[in-house]
Amino acid sequence: MKSLTIRNLSKTYFDVHAGTNVTAVHDISLEVPAGEFVSVVGPSGCGKTTLLNMIAGFLPHTGGEILVGGKPVKGPGPDRGVVFQSFALFPWRTVLDNVAFGPKMRGVGRAEREKIAHEYLALAKLSEAAGRYPNELSGGMQQRVGVVRALANEPDVLLMDEPFASVDAQTRMTLQEELTRIWEQKRPTVIFITHDVPEAVFLGNRVVALSKGRVLEEIAVDLPRPRVWDDLNEDDRFKALSGRVLQLVRSA
Amino acid sequence: MSKCCNTAREVILDHGELASRPRLSDAAAAAVLHPERPARRFLPEEEVMRHRLSSALWFCAPFAVLLVLWAVLIPAFEVNPRLFPNLESVVQAGLDGIKDGTLIRHIGASLMRVTVGTLLALVFAIPLGIAMGVSPAVSSFLTPPFRFFSVLAGIAWIPVASLWFGYGFGAITFVIFNAVFFIVTYNTLLGVSTIPMQVRHAAASLGAGKWAMLTEVLLPGALPNIVTGIRTGLGFAWRGLIAAEMIATNVGLGYMLFVARDFYKTEVIVLGMIVIGVLWLLLDRLLLAPIERATSERWGLVQRA
Amino acid sequence: MTTLFLQAWSHYLRLTTRWPSIGTLVPFVPLVVAWWVVTELQVFPRAFLPGPAEVVRSFVSLVYTGVLPEYLQDSMVRLAVGSFWGIVLGIPLGILVGLSQRAHKALWPVLLFFQAIGDIAWLPILVIWFGYGLTTMTVVIVYTVIFPVVLNTVLGVRSIPITLHRAALSLGASRTRMLWEVVLPGALPNIMTGLRNGLGYGWRALIATEIIVGTSGIGFLMFDARRAGSVVEILLGMIILGILWYIVDSWILAPIERATGQRWGLVTK
Repeated sequence: MKSLTIRNLSKTYFDVHAGTNVTAVHDISLEVPAGEFVSVVGPSGCGKTTLLNMIAGFLPHTGGEILVGGKPVKGPGPDRGVVFQSFALFPWRTVLDNVAFGPKMRGVGRAEREKIAHEYLALAKLSEAAGRYPNELSGGMQQRVGVVRALANEPDVLLMDEPFASVDAQTRMTLQEELTRIWEQKRPTVIFITHDVPEAVFLGNRVVALSKGRVLEEIAVDLPRPRVWDDLNEDDRFKALSGRVLQLVRSA
Repeated sequence: MSKCCNTAREVILDHGELASRPRLSDAAAAAVLHPERPARRFLPEEEVMRHRLSSALWFCAPFAVLLVLWAVLIPAFEVNPRLFPNLESVVQAGLDGIKDGTLIRHIGASLMRVTVGTLLALVFAIPLGIAMGVSPAVSSFLTPPFRFFSVLAGIAWIPVASLWFGYGFGAITFVIFNAVFFIVTYNTLLGVSTIPMQVRHAAASLGAGKWAMLTEVLLPGALPNIVTGIRTGLGFAWRGLIAAEMIATNVGLGYMLFVARDFYKTEVIVLGMIVIGVLWLLLDRLLLAPIERATSERWGLVQRA
Repeated sequence: MTTLFLQAWSHYLRLTTRWPSIGTLVPFVPLVVAWWVVTELQVFPRAFLPGPAEVVRSFVSLVYTGVLPEYLQDSMVRLAVGSFWGIVLGIPLGILVGLSQRAHKALWPVLLFFQAIGDIAWLPILVIWFGYGLTTMTVVIVYTVIFPVVLNTVLGVRSIPITLHRAALSLGASRTRMLWEVVLPGALPNIMTGLRNGLGYGWRALIATEIIVGTSGIGFLMFDARRAGSVVEILLGMIILGILWYIVDSWILAPIERATGQRWGLVTK
């Protein structure tokens, strides 16, 4: 796992539909040490997805720099794994093959990469689903596959783009707890984008509140781990932190 | 963009393709009747085989009835053989045609032209379709011309083809090429452009290079549309083949039919019609439909359309 | 340079959202230009590939002499008559086969087989029976149109959720009311698709028949031109065919299909 540094990042582009220049991200700087879980939260249109897409390399940035482990990034690559809101699993490959995809791209042999895939599926408690196709699984299970698929490739940084937004509320809570459990075992560097404030506080070591393409404030979350919803729902500090972040986001 | 593509896909849908859809509605009906049971059931191997065997038998049953009716009614009403042949004479004509090789030659010529024309068309259509489909701007710009040319598929090209290539193999293969090329290119374009961007991003973020992207993402993602396109295109190609053979050559099933008309040899005509029907039925249901089912339904992509 | 291009593209995109027809027509411009260039450069002999100017001239003269309008009318009338019968016979048949399991089992394979034979293969025997006239052509068109209509109607009928049937029954609908209130509206989007496909096939069948055995009509125009060795009219005929069908399909049929299916939120494909 490596650190992620963002310095004076900005994104301005020409919107063909509007016919004008649009600035989605203004001068954002962020330091994420290796192994830290950072939640980025903000209302729709605040630029958080654009930020993630730039870090991932799907969008070029027009100003500033992005460094992973001290080295600048160029385009998408296996050093920055991504978990998508729509799961983005390959429907024509089994669950096992989906998880083995990254290693396959690296040239790992079949036996070896299937072993890796099985390991990670076991981590997500999905071993029985290995031979199934994505459309046969529920949304929650599909996203778990999405998470371990990205992890199985052992990226330096894990980027998660509102991964639980397409899943029902109960499953979401389970997935959040699963994610913290997996994170504590593997300790990847994570950038987690969401519009759900309690989720951001629940998951992160730090919450970055974004609005209109700018950072409003960074708030440290010093709640102990492991974090479980039943406990935190009653915890005063959790409620205070959530309340503060919510206020920030809503007032901007 | 999706609005244009959805309706465009409807234009391209072939009635043959829809004929396989009842399976989807059975599943849908089952899901409605038993909401707790998942819509897809995984049956053991032998049950699947027995199911297939019994549905094959049920499929043939109405034809057995028709054959019996034919054998009985024609002689009973003393129908003029110049108007409609009786079953025996058709069978006899078939046997004769096989014995002296003419039937085989005609079938061979027709199949050869279809195969060559189709393969040639696919070699150009699929790469072109993928190249065009990758960029949303290019695919939406090029969609209207391709739709336009898809309309002219097959038969409308016959007069031009016969003037440009003269009689025979070239002209007919050209007609078939056209029938398949435009439709497959268009469907490939559609298929690639409807692969969700996030899936392509996912592959990129997992380290897929250009070649891997093509073989692991674009081709499989577009495959259901490509197969539908091939099936539709072949339907037009087959019809175009028969029509072209009627006026532009001297061997082949279409020719066989047309020439027999001059001599009022209705048994040859009916034989030819049955052969054409059986060939297409075999090709479509035993080859194309299973491929289509295997790709789209297995991968749950049918719902995408 | 790229900004200029982006600006132009942006203007184009916004124009097409306001007037979608522009999006349909503009892509043909480079095509026509390329055609013109290829003929000017005489890449192929002029006799083989005439240029746009000649085709337009031929169009004007054929319209002037009244030949084209007459042929067009002939073709359209035949298509209309054949399609009418195809639809009138096809929809009830489709509903019957869709609703009755027994009819489905008995007729479905037969339908598939006869559809596989295809319209063109019937031409020789139809010519023996009815000669070279209107009847042969009408029969071919009816034959061609009826299959997509029936098959799609069957699909539409069978994809109506059973809960709708039950709801109607529990609200006191009789079998006949059911047909009118549930089956027809429920199957309507698919019926429209079938109509659209059927007309598409019927159109092609018409041209094929006119090419092979016709005495007038656009297909015959092309057939006759072929006999005279004149590529110009053939190209003209093809372009007219393409445009006509494009117009009918995109501006008449597709909107109707969208209006029924999408308005009722029922698009079952």
